[in-house]
Amino acid sequence: MTERMLTVRMQINGKQTQPMDLPEDLMLLEYLQEYLNLTGTRYGCGQGVCRACAVIHDAADGPRVVPACITGVAWANGRSFRTVEGHATRDDQGAVTQLSAIQQAFLDHFSFQCSYCTPGFVAAATTLVERLQTAPVARDDVEDVVLEALNENICRCTGYVRYLQATRDVILNTPGLTTDEVATRDTAS
Amino acid sequence: MVKLSRRGFLRTAGSAAVAVQVVPLHKALAELQSAPKHQPPNWIRDGKIRFRQDGIPKVTGNKVFAIDIRARDMPGWPDTQSHALMLRADRADQRFGGVNETLLPDDLQPDVLIDDARVRRDGLRMTQEAFYGRLLLPVGEPARYLGQPAAVLIYHDYTRFRRARRLLQFNADALIWGAQTELPDLTPYGGARFVRIGGATPGAPDRYSPLADTIIFADFEAGGSPWPAPDRQGDAPSRGMAHAGDLRDELADPPDTWAVYQGHYTSQYVDPAALEPDNGNAWYDPERGALHVVVGTQSPYTNADHIETMVKGSRFDLNELRLHPGYTVGYGQKEHHVFPYYVALAALYGEGRPVRFALDRYSHFQGAIKRHPFDTRMTLAVDRETGLFQSLAADLRANGGGTKNFSPSVGQVAASALQGIHYFPKSDISVQVDASRAPTAGSMRGYGTLQSMVAFELLVDEAATDLGIDPIELRRRNLMHSGMKNTQGAIPAGTMRAGELLDAAGADPLWTTRAERKAAFEAEHPGYRYGVGVSCVQKDYGTGAEAALVRLEVTPEGELHMRHVASEIGCGSTTSQMLMTEAHLGRYCDRVDFAVIDWPELPLHSNNEPYTMSQDDQDEAAQDPHWVPRITSPRSASNSAYYFSHATGEAARLLFDLGLWQAAQSIWHEGIGGGQAAPLAVRRDQAEWRDGHLVAGGLQPLSFGDLARRAHAQGLITGVTVHTFNRWAWASAEFDVDGTPVSGAIDALSVKWGEGADAAKRARMRDAGFAFQPRTRVDYPPVQRNNASVVYYAPQATMVELSVNTGSGEVQILSHKSWMECGNMIVPELVSGQLQGGIAMGIGHALYEELLLYEDGPGNGTWNFNRYRLPRARDVAVWSQQGDVAPPLSATDPPKGIAEVVMIPVVSAICNAVHDAIGVRFHETPLSPERIKEALS
Repeated sequence: MTERMLTVRMQINGKQTQPMDLPEDLMLLEYLQEYLNLTGTRYGCGQGVCRACAVIHDAADGPRVVPACITGVAWANGRSFRTVEGHATRDDQGAVTQLSAIQQAFLDHFSFQCSYCTPGFVAAATTLVERLQTAPVARDDVEDVVLEALNENICRCTGYVRYLQATRDVILNTPGLTTDEVATRDTAS
Repeated sequence: MVKLSRRGFLRTAGSAAVAVQVVPLHKALAELQSAPKHQPPNWIRDGKIRFRQDGIPKVTGNKVFAIDIRARDMPGWPDTQSHALMLRADRADQRFGGVNETLLPDDLQPDVLIDDARVRRDGLRMTQEAFYGRLLLPVGEPARYLGQPAAVLIYHDYTRFRRARRLLQFNADALIWGAQTELPDLTPYGGARFVRIGGATPGAPDRYSPLADTIIFADFEAGGSPWPAPDRQGDAPSRGMAHAGDLRDELADPPDTWAVYQGHYTSQYVDPAALEPDNGNAWYDPERGALHVVVGTQSPYTNADHIETMVKGSRFDLNELRLHPGYTVGYGQKEHHVFPYYVALAALYGEGRPVRFALDRYSHFQGAIKRHPFDTRMTLAVDRETGLFQSLAADLRANGGGTKNFSPSVGQVAASALQGIHYFPKSDISVQVDASRAPTAGSMRGYGTLQSMVAFELLVDEAATDLGIDPIELRRRNLMHSGMKNTQGAIPAGTMRAGELLDAAGADPLWTTRAERKAAFEAEHPGYRYGVGVSCVQKDYGTGAEAALVRLEVTPEGELHMRHVASEIGCGSTTSQMLMTEAHLGRYCDRVDFAVIDWPELPLHSNNEPYTMSQDDQDEAAQDPHWVPRITSPRSASNSAYYFSHATGEAARLLFDLGLWQAAQSIWHEGIGGGQAAPLAVRRDQAEWRDGHLVAGGLQPLSFGDLARRAHAQGLITGVTVHTFNRWAWASAEFDVDGTPVSGAIDALSVKWGEGADAAKRARMRDAGFAFQPRTRVDYPPVQRNNASVVYYAPQATMVELSVNTGSGEVQILSHKSWMECGNMIVPELVSGQLQGGIAMGIGHALYEELLLYEDGPGNGTWNFNRYRLPRARDVAVWSQQGDVAPPLSATDPPKGIAEVVMIPVVSAICNAVHDAIGVRFHETPLSPERIKEALS
């Protein structure tokens, strides 16, 4: 029995990957981990339930979160994705020089403990922030929006509180993400 | 050929050791915890850390877990990566007939098949088989339990590995099964009994107790009753049984003034669902007899020891073992778990190639350690007039699954913790842990106490309702106050502060206005019921044999370096240990090696029998200054905050006393007439650190760098390594360090003199640059103190507000509030995170999580997160929860371990709140919608 193969090439973290002949039923998570050595996207269940494997798909209509463990390379082929390794700014040697706003907030809030689920939360929270740039919400609705966006991600260590607080604070403190921010900022100042 | 180690500490009776090391990994390639850690950039602001020491690599997706590692990441390893998969028994009623190789086409036959015959032929056995089970299931025998490993298949390329796995997984024909067999009767793993009959007052000597007399152990081999026959004139166990009989008789025919309550509660079988499945990656280099193991584990020292023993005596040469523990998470599941030995096994058969052995969730569920389900029956007598508890009898029965693992000790800890925050004048608590064919249960967050304390907390609430006493008030009246004895007859450490937490809970508006809130909520939400529940427990931390090693060293450049046994399981212990030096040395650690298993600078050995050795044996062994009761402990039992911090603190104190304080004296006494210090009378106890400078009695402030330079220049002591041991009290010892008497709550010490040391001192620094200091006196806690079972407690009260949908049976947590006491917090944000996370896990236990035990359970290899519910953010009242931490009594209150207590009271608080909502008592967790609907129908 021979394996049906597919030539796969996609954009990962802004760079085109080299074409590879891969099994056509390979999952995006396996491609990232076993072929690109990008292991920050984590296996948790292989069913798309826990979202430890969440990555950002940069689609034509904006970013969206996809579970890499049940997303086939056949679908992913030719598309563009961001993994947790691609969020921070890095120097030529790959060393981190600046974290993304969400990463910095997670760090500042002591949001994670073991961190196995952190890449999935980075993807979900970043996607939310970016979608709010085109569709801001009222400040009073931010907590509900954050809860809705992050509710599918499972964390067994933290109880979610510090992840959600960090995301809320990024949204409330980033101009353009809420509709009534000016008055509130004036009040705050 | 086995080469003898230059170190003896891994040597157990009759074994020859090999060189065991942790090898620093290049930081750019791997952020495993065996790589040295420096303070992160911009870590400290205004004297406080801004984030976890491991935060940046974790949040950027670096390789921090063992599961992230591939062969090409490891320095010196071949680049090729092989992959292993495990076939496990999914039935226990037929004889095993081997692997069905016909399922796989020729091109998918494994490159290596490891089965029982092969490992036995090669002389490999599981270390401590009675504890872990045998390596692989022999052909011709039925599986002892579901999920038992039957074979390991290795593929040298990923593509074939995944194709083969696809054909074998969920395939009932992957293993051949033969003749039907009867399920065997299994001997229980253990049983114990804690009988305490107090004196006339709580302070009077006990008439009988485990500490003063004995824990009574069950004997299941003889048949009949497992307990000794009662005999008032007999030995300690027989006398204890006589007391137990009297207590039970009295409860059966109680005085008229007593109200007697009986409770029967059951808890479920649970997987902790740590997101990182069991995994490892290992390479055996047959040319050099070198085994390199990357693994996720909470017990790296034990793993190294057992891997060495497993390979020893086999056909495989082992000259060198290098263990690389990754950051990991397990909630106890990776503490003395069996999987690291399969990782090592696969590597031995890897044909010189690195083998990655990473379980998927199905296979992890099939074999990973579970939480014991408990069946708890209790009889509680309460004085009707006063509401004071008079007597308690309890019988706990747990299911330990397929291998013994820690089952006996989980049972004992459950029994000894049952009382929670309460005091009983007399009690008889028995426990039995049974063997079964379910996947093995073992160490898990709470270690049996979740099950036992929740059961008792539910009974307390039932009693309060019947007595017409406020549940908080009933608890308050029955508090175990400072100096009172627990059910083992031991007096707990320090001040008992659960009462303060109850006071705060009782005064909270959520409690005082609950009736009005209930009426208002139910009026506004037809079809819903509203309830508030409370619970308060105190959880032990530590194991009764806590041992740690720490090395601290000052560099000539003024940096502080540390080596530590602590490993990181997510709780933040590697962060907190870097801070624990500040009190004595005015400085956080600049560089640390964590998870260190190799301690040539403090050559020690141990028989590692701290729980079972006799007093005579301990007394004799203690004469040898290189002997300690235990080398080190796993990362478990909430042990880092107190026990590891103690070791770090003692090392820092000694480094200051022996080194930096002497350097300061040297500087302050410089000059004619004894310098600036001569006119003053400055004592050691006046020393303090201010803004990074040592100050004392008006003398010139000295920076850490100044002191480091002087200490090195004069050849003063610049490094110390200590070993500590705690058996519900600290071992203490005295030393003569170059004529200076030194004492401390440590039992072994080595020192290092600075660069200016004379030739004589240099010659003495033979132990990896350190000089071992033989103790001149040592006091170990007596072995009888094992029977205390627990003396260190951290208390927590939790109150829950919830609603019950009477149509669907769904419970929604509306808010919750907790009050905790944990001494001085090392990092408040980490404590808060533990509290929030523990409560979420407790909510899952109370409401959602349950696995089936046997053929339809995870042992059949089909379980994953789709089979049951885990709590999400929406389930834990993420925006409406509060947590208060009681202020410490003094600046010197030691930090307490709280990683387990945090998940317990919320479980019983939820059950009590559901009763408040719908008027039904549940005696079984979880309170699933189905159970609630059934109760309401």
